Amino acid sequence: MNKRLLISLATAVGLGFSTASLAWLEKGGERDETLTLTPDRENGIEVYEVCAGCHLTEGWGETSGTFPQLAGQHKEVLVKQLADIREGNRDNPTMYPFALPESIGGPQAMADVVDYIQKLPMNPENGKGDWDESAPEFAQGKKLYDDNCVKCHGDNGEGIADKFYPRIQGQHYAYMMRQFEWIRDGKRRNANPDMVKQIKGFSDKDMQMVINYVSRIPVPKEDLAPSADWLNPDYD
Amino acid sequence: MTHSVIKAAVATTALLLALSPAAVLSADGEKLYQTKTCSTCHGKDGKSPIMPMYPKIAGQNQAYTLQQLKDIKSGARNNGQSAAMKGVMHLVSDDEMQALSEYIATMAP
Repeated sequence: MNKRLLISLATAVGLGFSTASLAWLEKGGERDETLTLTPDRENGIEVYEVCAGCHLTEGWGETSGTFPQLAGQHKEVLVKQLADIREGNRDNPTMYPFALPESIGGPQAMADVVDYIQKLPMNPENGKGDWDESAPEFAQGKKLYDDNCVKCHGDNGEGIADKFYPRIQGQHYAYMMRQFEWIRDGKRRNANPDMVKQIKGFSDKDMQMVINYVSRIPVPKEDLAPSADWLNPDYD
Repeated sequence: MTHSVIKAAVATTALLLALSPAAVLSADGEKLYQTKTCSTCHGKDGKSPIMPMYPKIAGQNQAYTLQQLKDIKSGARNNGQSAAMKGVMHLVSDDEMQALSEYIATMAP
């Protein structure tokens, strides 16, 4: 019996939560293949056009959190999420049709587009939480971060590319709030089970404080666009 | 107030009244149609959807479109492909839904 069939059977008999560990990272297939290919920048620009309909040509998403910032994200993370969405391992009905091979293409096209996105300069004005550095909630958020998050997301939210841990510095507050809540409450099926366990006891206030802190971690200057008015010259 | 100023004011008011509210709204609607990502799924022309099971909407009756927008936003309508659209509906206000429905009605079917 193959692994995929086992997973569907497990889900069917209602083991639900225990399948989360299987859903985090499926090895092999198009993820691995994509990451071994040499990217073509020109084709990346062409493929990204469909993504830009929502994530914008700059890859900055929306501070409202409807669409995340993609610019500067590790290509490994982008490939995993794309593959997860198109394989039905992460529920995202809005993005689903755009992640399909008919829209994006196969492993080579994915390699082209994720490499392009990873190199886009990031939004210097990402959406932030309400508590600035002087607020006690900011300090509490930092403590929560240091105690719970650094091992995987790094001291500055930079993530770990080859482990598929996302860069979260510079991400929009509202987007991270939604994802964190879905991960905590089991709605995001491709979440890392270690994270689900780690944040299980977080109250809503804890969640707001830690994400407020993350949204305010400075992004290295060399990774940022020169200004919030920057327009991606690859598109007209 | 001088007569000429009054005349100018009257003329301006008349001009504003002559422009139907629908025309004003449609102009906004055209921009909203892009910025609120309608075009991404339904096509720039409103009749080339990205998926065959997504509807062509160009020229649809204004009242019908408006009702669907409201129902998908509120969750009253949650069948078919509406889950895909629900994710972006908090981007639009009541006024913007009105403007969008006006614009979509003017698109060539």
